[in-house]
Amino acid sequence: MSTALRDFIKNPTAAELELVARYGMQPEDARRERAFLAFAETGLPHRRMEAWKWTDFKAALKVLETPAAVSAKDPLPHDGALVFRFTPKGFEAPAKLPDGIRMVAQPSVQAFPGAEDVPMGALAAALAGSGKRPATLTFEITSGDAPRLHFVFEGAGEASFARIIFLVRSGASLTLTESYLGGSGLTSAVLEFDMEKDAKLNRTIFQRGASDEALAVTAIAHLGAEAEMTQTTLAFGAKVARMETRVVHQASGSKLNLNAAYLSGMGFHADITTNVRHGAPSCVTRQLTKGAVLDGGTGVFQGKFFVPRKTGQHTDADMQHQALLLEDGAQVFAKPELEIYADDVECAHGNTCGALDDAQMFYLRQRGIPETQARAMLTEAFIAEALGMADEAVRDVLLAEAQTWLSS
Amino acid sequence: MDCCGGTTEHEDDCGEVKVKDSIDAKTVEAAKALESENYSAGFSTTIDTDFAPKGLSEDTIRYISAAKNEPEWLLEWRLKAYERWLTMEEPSWAMVRYPKIDYQAYYYYAAPKAGAKYASIDDVPKEILETYEKLGIPLREAEVLLGVEGAVETAAEGREKPRVAVDAVFDSVSVATTFRKELEKAGVIFMSISEAVHEYPDLVKKYLGTVVPQSDNFFATLNSAVFSDGTFVYIPKGVRCPMELSTYFRMNAENTGQFERTLIIADESAYVSYLEGCTAPMRDENQLHAAVVELVALEDAEIKYSTVQNWWPGDEDGKGGIFNFVTKRGDCRGDRSKISWTQVETGSAVTWKYPSCILRGDDSVGEFYSIAVTNGRQQADTGTKMIHLGKRTKSRIISKGISAGKSDNTYRGLVSVNRKAVNARNFTQCDSLLIGDKCGAHTIPYVENRCASAQLEHEATTTKLSEDQLFYARQRGIAEEDAVALLVNGFVRDVLQHLPMEFAVEAQSLLKVSLEGSVG
Amino acid sequence: MRPMLKITDLSATVGEDSEAKTILNGLSLDVPAGEVHAIMGPNGAGKSTLSYVLTGRSGYEVTGGGATLNGEDILGMDPEDRAAKGMFLSFQYPVEIPGVPVMTFVRTAMNAQRKARGEAEISAPDFIKKSREVAGMLNLDAEMLKRPVNVGFSGGEKKRLEIYQMMMLEPKFLILDETDSGLDIDALKTVADGVNAMRDPSRGMLVITHYQRLLDYIKPDKVHVLAKGRIIKTGEADLALRLEKEGYDGVLGEAA
Repeated sequence: MSTALRDFIKNPTAAELELVARYGMQPEDARRERAFLAFAETGLPHRRMEAWKWTDFKAALKVLETPAAVSAKDPLPHDGALVFRFTPKGFEAPAKLPDGIRMVAQPSVQAFPGAEDVPMGALAAALAGSGKRPATLTFEITSGDAPRLHFVFEGAGEASFARIIFLVRSGASLTLTESYLGGSGLTSAVLEFDMEKDAKLNRTIFQRGASDEALAVTAIAHLGAEAEMTQTTLAFGAKVARMETRVVHQASGSKLNLNAAYLSGMGFHADITTNVRHGAPSCVTRQLTKGAVLDGGTGVFQGKFFVPRKTGQHTDADMQHQALLLEDGAQVFAKPELEIYADDVECAHGNTCGALDDAQMFYLRQRGIPETQARAMLTEAFIAEALGMADEAVRDVLLAEAQTWLSS
Repeated sequence: MDCCGGTTEHEDDCGEVKVKDSIDAKTVEAAKALESENYSAGFSTTIDTDFAPKGLSEDTIRYISAAKNEPEWLLEWRLKAYERWLTMEEPSWAMVRYPKIDYQAYYYYAAPKAGAKYASIDDVPKEILETYEKLGIPLREAEVLLGVEGAVETAAEGREKPRVAVDAVFDSVSVATTFRKELEKAGVIFMSISEAVHEYPDLVKKYLGTVVPQSDNFFATLNSAVFSDGTFVYIPKGVRCPMELSTYFRMNAENTGQFERTLIIADESAYVSYLEGCTAPMRDENQLHAAVVELVALEDAEIKYSTVQNWWPGDEDGKGGIFNFVTKRGDCRGDRSKISWTQVETGSAVTWKYPSCILRGDDSVGEFYSIAVTNGRQQADTGTKMIHLGKRTKSRIISKGISAGKSDNTYRGLVSVNRKAVNARNFTQCDSLLIGDKCGAHTIPYVENRCASAQLEHEATTTKLSEDQLFYARQRGIAEEDAVALLVNGFVRDVLQHLPMEFAVEAQSLLKVSLEGSVG
Repeated sequence: MRPMLKITDLSATVGEDSEAKTILNGLSLDVPAGEVHAIMGPNGAGKSTLSYVLTGRSGYEVTGGGATLNGEDILGMDPEDRAAKGMFLSFQYPVEIPGVPVMTFVRTAMNAQRKARGEAEISAPDFIKKSREVAGMLNLDAEMLKRPVNVGFSGGEKKRLEIYQMMMLEPKFLILDETDSGLDIDALKTVADGVNAMRDPSRGMLVITHYQRLLDYIKPDKVHVLAKGRIIKTGEADLALRLEKEGYDGVLGEAA
């Protein structure tokens, strides 16, 4: 390599230098280089970048270190699922996969279009594949009733990167659950979904980490004609945790449900960022994000609907974000954004932010429900609304996890 | 952006707005014919003018300051701003695109010859008086009635016609201020800021730059260095200003930037309603307008600031038009104070404007009511910032954006609640209406809440003009353009009702004119 | 006999410190057990304020006087404690609670009240049985009880749901705040039947209404006229008819 490694990033921090060094240890690969350069353009994203103004990885992650605590226990059921485990150094998969699911683990990096838009995703693509882990893991789903795939990200280490590509073929359907359980100073995973005509995806993400960890999960999905994607996220945040989802409706009639709940306590920061492009006519998006934040916690919601001229006609899109600040010292930042160039559309967004509704509290108490119980009931119901579309196998677990957090 | 190169023919131009079958060709032609002719304020006035040397340098600033015979402190203040400006970069985050501005290609000061201020209205050159008359802004007090044609019909019969005191700014200087004597009786100071610098230096010194600091942003800093004239208003304690105050800005000279600075102070328990109107001649070059408006409301004071902005928007191909980069901010400094911004934005090629409120006093209230219409190739990026600092502060934002032609219309707003702003409230509603399939409507709200007891609510919708409603109105015999105007008026009603009545009438007719040619 | 609800010279304001407005101004009223009293009055008389002050909604400040339920001062209690003592308010505008199904809500309320009174919780089968009976009387669809409280309910459904809750919780003292508003005649009858079924020698009721119509179906023992924050006239059931005929101005003019 002719360029001195440290010249990749301007004024690098110790953590960035470490990332450059890790890149330097990877085998040479033109696609890997492209992905890393896309990351290096900005380095770890920071507050002076519009898309990261409230979530500053550069400031939060000064050095790469193994966190104090080991990863959390996985609450999502493993029964009835094909389980794949990522640790900072290893990767485990079932010995045999049923018909209709094919997995290809490659040591080389696959092309990553759009890497410039997602610096943390680009980083994951560039650094995935250390140790025994594949650089790119590709799944092809051809079955309409494949068992649930469950991915676990856990262990103890300084950093963990993964890149997974899913091809959901025409008419096939995929139920996917992911548990991000911390234990790594920096985790960055990028998942790509290519959904053909009539393909279905139900994706559920559970995230729990520690207040000395940084996490970015970047998903990029392309929906074919009449394809349906439902996503549910439950995030408890970390020192910084960014759950970013970018979806392109690329053929007519596709449908997207994009739901998330974040629960953020003292020292935790949870960021839900989404970008939905209505690149084809007559597509539908329904988005609901709920958040509850305690003293010392931060919640971030950034949502964007982009409706291009001509191709975006007859878009039907609705985005709602509602946040509860449960205690003094909580903070919530939101940016629900619409960028619309097509005229025959119905687009709406709403954002509310504040304490529990006084009228509701009084109504419950008038019926005899004590204040703390009334508060818990209202908060749980508030959060539960965003979790209702999760796969049945995990829905109750998500609700229980949220409840436990809210009542403690 | 322009797929057909330089053709000026409208027919079969693939970049043209799509003609819908339901609209007859005559309507479309008639509408097209109107496109630039309908800017009725587009004439220019021939008058001898003194210019500062073209371009921007320390010498320009010294020239301006000397021309106004300014005290040393103000020159220092300007030079400090200039020094700062040299280190700043033009902002690029707004959703507007325009050719790079050559700041050396403008005149920063243009004044009608024969001095800045005329001793009496009779000394104002005939051409200037005629200009204002043509614009419907008579400066002779006897004629200052409603100021706007058409308003008479709607004014309640027998009601005393409201009087409006006018400060007329022609290019860089204030040429006339009406009703001064009567206002003085009430203790109200209403004069050009250049005069106020001499007559009330302490007040100016005390408040200038305290709401919009010199270094606030690129355009505000530029304004601080080169501001030419503008209006100064002071309403003393407990005084309810006996009439509406108004400034009328007219940009006349070619290649001239207009950099006015307005400073309005409402002392404790005072009230003032202030109107601002703007026009400019049709010129092929882009003219630059970078104003700063500072409002200060002390305890229990209320300021209502209304704008009807009708700067020349450029022609249908996007040639010419005003670049409107304005910093407007109000400071609710005292408890229970209130600042209300109402704006009707129909003009300018590019608008970059965010009238804001700093809600510092406990129980203070900020309001922003906006109608922004873009047509042709216009681009508007406008909205507000509500900064909640005091307890129980309330803000309300109602924004109605209407995009037509090949324009882009963006609402950008910030609601920020400080940790100490307990029980703060905000309600925001942003509605966008798209007319035609070549325009864009964008909504970018930022919400930053650091206070658990605050309640913030935001709603936004984007829809097109309803074909059903349009048909319904036309079936009842209303011509298409009138039907559009009718529906648009319905769409913006919540905002129009916050304008003083005379202005509301003007705004309604402006909306209609701005949207002519938009259907089809 | 000691009245069940005793309100003595009650004054209350609404709004924060500097903007506080006096709404109740020396109101006195006694409602014995077993009786139904109606409170009528023009808009703005303080009718809803009275119901909120009695049930403890925040934002209302008692500035004078007192109120007791069975001899116990209630004004210092939290709303849920008053509820446990048997105070039930049927809201003029029932509140929507997204995400909380009716059944869950009522069972939680019932058990919270029982717990506060030192009673055992109701078992799930008993609760369901009771719920079925009550719903049957009120013509409530079982599906409705699975939906979130009041969300997407029509005005009539909301009022019927208030009565359902009242019959489930079996409170000692009922306040019906403008229960007839937004009801058609059939719904009004159903609601009135429910309320009449609750009449009992051990139970008191305060029926707050603007119109006499509701009192055709729920016969009051006494009618009080509330104006400017106090009771200015008290009479038998026929006073309501007079109010209907002569209007408030007529009757108030006479009282003044």
